[in-house]
Amino acid sequence: MTALPPIALPVVVEPRTRRGRGRRPAWRRGPALVGLVVLALWVLVALTLPLWTPFGPLDPVDKRLLSPNAHHWLGTDALGRDVFTRVLWGARTSLPVAAIVILAAVIIGTIIGAVSGFFGGWIDAVLMRFVDITMAFPPILLAMAITASLGPSIRNAVIAMILVWWPIYARLLRAQVIAVRQRDFVDSAVAIGASRWLILRRYVLPMSYTPVLVNATMDFGQVVLLVASLSFIGLGARPPSPEWGAMITEGATNFYQWWIAAGPGLAILLVVLAFNFVGDGLRDTFDVRDDS
Amino acid sequence: MVGRHRVRSWRVALSIGLAASLGVAACSSDSKTAVPATSGAATTAAGASTTAATTTGASTGASTGGTTGASTGGSTAPAGGSSDQALVIARDMDVNSLDPQRAYCDTCQIFMTAVYETLIGLDAKDNTTLIPRLATKWTSNTDQTEFTFDLDPRAKFADGTPVTSADVKFSWERLQGLKGASSYLVSLIKTIDATDPEVVKVTLSAADSAFFAQVNASYLGIVNSKAAMAQGATADPTTDKAEPWFLANSAGSGPFTLEGYTSGSELRLKRNDAYWGTKANFPEVIMKQTQGAVEQRQQLEEGSVDIAMQISNDVATGMSDKDVVVKKVPSFNYVYLALSPGAKGGEALTPDVRKAIREALDYPHLLDVTVGGAGRSQPSPIPNGFAGTTGLPGPVQNLDDAKQLLAASGAKDLTFDATFPTFNVYGVDFSTAMQEVQTELKAVGVTLNLNPVEVSVWADKINKDGIPVTMLYFAPDHTDSSQYVQYFGLVPDSQWTTWTKQPNVQSESDLLTKAFATQDPAARDGIYKQLAQAMIDDQVIIPIVNPDLFLASRANITGMHYSACCNLDLALLGKS
Repeated sequence: MTALPPIALPVVVEPRTRRGRGRRPAWRRGPALVGLVVLALWVLVALTLPLWTPFGPLDPVDKRLLSPNAHHWLGTDALGRDVFTRVLWGARTSLPVAAIVILAAVIIGTIIGAVSGFFGGWIDAVLMRFVDITMAFPPILLAMAITASLGPSIRNAVIAMILVWWPIYARLLRAQVIAVRQRDFVDSAVAIGASRWLILRRYVLPMSYTPVLVNATMDFGQVVLLVASLSFIGLGARPPSPEWGAMITEGATNFYQWWIAAGPGLAILLVVLAFNFVGDGLRDTFDVRDDS
Repeated sequence: MVGRHRVRSWRVALSIGLAASLGVAACSSDSKTAVPATSGAATTAAGASTTAATTTGASTGASTGGTTGASTGGSTAPAGGSSDQALVIARDMDVNSLDPQRAYCDTCQIFMTAVYETLIGLDAKDNTTLIPRLATKWTSNTDQTEFTFDLDPRAKFADGTPVTSADVKFSWERLQGLKGASSYLVSLIKTIDATDPEVVKVTLSAADSAFFAQVNASYLGIVNSKAAMAQGATADPTTDKAEPWFLANSAGSGPFTLEGYTSGSELRLKRNDAYWGTKANFPEVIMKQTQGAVEQRQQLEEGSVDIAMQISNDVATGMSDKDVVVKKVPSFNYVYLALSPGAKGGEALTPDVRKAIREALDYPHLLDVTVGGAGRSQPSPIPNGFAGTTGLPGPVQNLDDAKQLLAASGAKDLTFDATFPTFNVYGVDFSTAMQEVQTELKAVGVTLNLNPVEVSVWADKINKDGIPVTMLYFAPDHTDSSQYVQYFGLVPDSQWTTWTKQPNVQSESDLLTKAFATQDPAARDGIYKQLAQAMIDDQVIIPIVNPDLFLASRANITGMHYSACCNLDLALLGKS
């Protein structure tokens, strides 16, 4: 009796990093570190704001349309509310919204992309055509259409953005899964009778998720921008919510009081930049290429 | 690595660009404003002059009517010189239709006055005197039920067809039959006799001493009946097919004709070179859709428009361009809060709760927040200056009483939907105003869920389920106080009786009938005062602010004015 050579299931290979080159990982250097610090500050502000802010975000606290001064660092708006306070409170809307959208989109996109890529055939064809249709529309237009049909609100804006965003991750993950699926160890695992779901969950997915993670980090900023855009055109947050896009709309009607729009504009800039810096850092750390 | 750095740089640049573009977009495009404002000019003591106008209309009707100005025809002579260039007006247009019997909006008033002449006009110099337009003479019987108009035999439509009594009959019967928003103006007409082509005899179903004033409303403009009927115009809304045609064509006798209209873009009028009266100064007028006061100011300062019609106090402040003239004048326009107990979700708006809401508002502060103090508070739905408003007690905040009323009402969880159109009218940003109202009502335990929407969405909602708390605006259609009772009072067929789904108040109907039957100005003033108080007691319409108007134009534009019936008469404008 001839013994068959043992079949060794693969050890999950860590993505290539530069850790072994004697340098700090990319996310701990330069812009990525700055981005991380900025984001940490925003998160800290969002979590602790009610404990220390001197003004409420909805309370008129002084004369209307005051320019920036020692008491009101970003002046007051048309209702006499402190713009700086409202900008800080805006983080309590934008950051959770971005997190929910990205998390939900990644989960949905991962499931659909993994199933599509791993099982192939008609399942892949059907799911990917659906993805194609969704991605054929510019994201902002599709989000606007969905929000407008559901009714303007931050909740409906979140639903719209999830529906717009998940196909990106489905497509990305499918490509990764197809690449991994063709490797020998998958065939070997099938040959020894491992279930396809087990192979997918335990071996294929862990080797495919990295690009999704990096993309998701970078998309955080884009989602912040999109929710602000939807609110700016009246499809997101309802007044008097201190949401950045809605605040910019208020600033536009008071154009010559520049500080009303400048505050939330600056906040959006900082958050989007920070997420992009961190995303770039993660990309370098995991050495993800764009050829996916 | 080079490639990766490029990607990173691109991403960073993109993120900066996107964030910056959002900021720039915010700075360059105004919020969802919409609509109109009236314009105006020569009005100074608006209130007094309107009372006088009402008086004039009433007494004129009772006696013989005007006879002067027959040689002028149409509007009074334009001020300033003519120009070979188009007049460009920046305006946030609220056009609902350009069909002369369906149109009802502030922009429509300007359009109607320019294109479809009325029988009687209102002198823009004083907003008081009735002047001849298509009619050279107007008289009535002593009990104000029969009215006779002698038409100017020289009056012709733009296509050369003479204006006859048949055209007047067709226009007013169609206005009555289509049951549009302005149909209330002719609701009392029983018959129109057009036997003599140059004489119109109108018989009313009840006395109406304000009829001559109503006739100067721009919506009673006369359309060429033959041209309209050829396009399917009828007085029956189920068979009428002319509205689309009127979006691209006109059939009036005014100093301008419609050249073209593109929704959301522009309204073009062309001078009627065959006009039977004094021709307009400008060969063309372009109303350019410009949403916000900020954009209007910028375009005016850079010279790309000649007139900006909706400059707000905040935006006007600091304008120092020597080539731009800004004049602040009082107006009869106002913005109001409306409470609808009959609306879905508005059941808790009992009379006591409505009164509490009225007393919870800080009117001087609302005046400051909405228009920077450039205006007045207004006690009743009849605006300051109209008959019946002298001596009315102004709205006063009384938080203690408001809280007591709410406590006594026993209502729990007073939360109301507050859907409102995203307008920026007469310098009032509705979003800002409603946020202030929300804040002030919160202090007495009333919660408003603000829901700004496009006007079409708002209209669907209020026509279907009603809206418990909303905000809207109004500019006068003519110079008599009756219009406010007919629109805001709880009388049969009034717009707000329909929207609030409230029962009619018989005493208001009786008072209105009495006012129509009364010719003595002082007595009418007293009746309208009772009506004004009755509408205050209804607690359905709560005026928020009666704003001043800012007439902003290039310094070489002459004849800027504010008309109480017609907004802005384009034929009176010129260039120096």
